[in-house]
Amino acid sequence: MANSTTTYESNAAFEARLRKRITKLILFSTGALVAVVFGFPMYFMTVSAFKAEAEILSTPFKWLPQEFVGLDHYAAAFDRAPIGQWYANSVFIAAVQVSVAIFFAAMAGYGFAKFRFRGRKLLFALILSIMAVPFQILLIPLYVEIRQFGWHNTYAGLIVPGLLSAFAIFMMRQFAFNIPDELLDSARIDGASEFRIFLTIAMPLLAPASASLVIILFLFSWNNFLWPLVVAQDRHLLTLPVGMTVFSQPYRGEPFVGPAMAVSTLATLPVALLFIFFQRYFIEGMMVSGIKG
Amino acid sequence: MISLYRRVWGDKNVISRRQYWGLIFVLPCILFFIVFFLYPLLTGFYLSLTKFTLLRPPVFIGFDNYANLLKDRLFIKSISVTLGFVLGSTLPTVTLSLFVALLFYQKFPGREGLKLIFFSPLLPSVAVVSVIWVVLLHPSGILTSVIGPLVGKAEITWLHDLTLSPIVIVVARIWSAMPFYMLIWLAGLTAIPQELRDAARVDGANRIQSFWSVELPLLRPTAVFVLAVSTISAFQGFTLQFVIAPNQGGPVDVNTTLGIVIWKYGFQFFRMGDAAAVSVFLFACIMVVTGAQLALGRSDRHTIN
Repeated sequence: MANSTTTYESNAAFEARLRKRITKLILFSTGALVAVVFGFPMYFMTVSAFKAEAEILSTPFKWLPQEFVGLDHYAAAFDRAPIGQWYANSVFIAAVQVSVAIFFAAMAGYGFAKFRFRGRKLLFALILSIMAVPFQILLIPLYVEIRQFGWHNTYAGLIVPGLLSAFAIFMMRQFAFNIPDELLDSARIDGASEFRIFLTIAMPLLAPASASLVIILFLFSWNNFLWPLVVAQDRHLLTLPVGMTVFSQPYRGEPFVGPAMAVSTLATLPVALLFIFFQRYFIEGMMVSGIKG
Repeated sequence: MISLYRRVWGDKNVISRRQYWGLIFVLPCILFFIVFFLYPLLTGFYLSLTKFTLLRPPVFIGFDNYANLLKDRLFIKSISVTLGFVLGSTLPTVTLSLFVALLFYQKFPGREGLKLIFFSPLLPSVAVVSVIWVVLLHPSGILTSVIGPLVGKAEITWLHDLTLSPIVIVVARIWSAMPFYMLIWLAGLTAIPQELRDAARVDGANRIQSFWSVELPLLRPTAVFVLAVSTISAFQGFTLQFVIAPNQGGPVDVNTTLGIVIWKYGFQFFRMGDAAAVSVFLFACIMVVTGAQLALGRSDRHTIN
């Protein structure tokens, strides 16, 4: 009797353990299926850039190149289009937009958080209203305005409208609330000017807080498509996202699929590096900004 | 000196006088706001009431552009294309991303690694997504090799087919958008206090009951946010249709969204007045969604209090 009870109990324990195992197995297999389906296109892109043109489209899909072509597709892509120039354009535009937008946003966020001037709430609400207006609404009038400035088809036209980020101002204001007033006041007692206090005390405290903000502003600039599409006309002025779309079509009967995957890989590389090295800030930034949509 | 300050600022002491430094700090952004946001926003409304081809100054013509849009076949078509894209992509994105969030919320071996692979569509820009999908959707490419045998075809012209091309663009959109919404759902799930789940367990609820009656109601603010953001961004559908679809929004306009119409009228035909009118219409559509979001968010607060 006592014996059978223990067997029964160990059976129950075994069943519970088995059930747990099976649950984990089902969860793992479902997770693996989801990961394969969603990860496949990016894997396809990366590996296809090293496959022979015919092999990319051949079926069944081979997980590794049967005939490894090295950097041939990359070379072909650089031959066919000024990829280097487009890459440099995108990097340059992103660098200017991110650094200037961060600086002005830090100033404004500091001003909104640490001073009590008249109209402060109204001005902040106005700035926030930018986030409710999609860019497509501004496309036509902004383009007309840029033309009036003579900035059509120039770096200024590409860069300047992207120097204001309502989201960055919002975030910087949040960060600036955390700066202790005592710190600012002691600097004032020492006779430092307000602008000097901002540069030497506030900025160094705001800059590290804005790591995820920098990533978001970079992504926004790097991925921007519609505005550079309409502003840049000259081939040498195109940005990478706009320029690379020539690779979505066959060109003079030359192979295009391999080069297309090579350029796509190149365009994704900086973002992939950011993701790998700053994963936490990357995901945090995406979540608070709602950028990907 | 102090009396001069007093006369200028109307303030009593140094402390309140200093507050105006804040105005100086926000000034650059305010100037930018006026020049690159407020002014174009207002001129956008004005341009929609004009005939304007960039060559001559705009001529005021009242509501003629709007009246013409009602008879404009491309515009009418683009409304149904946009609504199709919005409905086709939003509902699957929202529900599937919730499902994936629930999956990765559970504990199982290999979870973190698989989650990272699932996140990979976050990396490419929409232009890259478009180019990749053009290759995946090659008539004799990888997707044809999966679907083709099921329907007995060796070649499928995904992108030139009037029915298939909007569908595959929706699929590309769902693929690229899902990880972001999954992140939002996951954050919502993580924010639910574990005690509530434990309490439901103690009361004898099983996992599914606890999900329906404890977690789902608490996820309502997340649901409203996810629905609104995905709807609003689908209303602005442009790049996928511009790059993936043949001839910018083709074939035969089946992928011509409102965004593509704005681009075509503005930058192919240089009919800036018409393009501005379409923009105002799109703005109105998006404001309706934003309004619905705010209303739902508000009623939500009432039920919680």
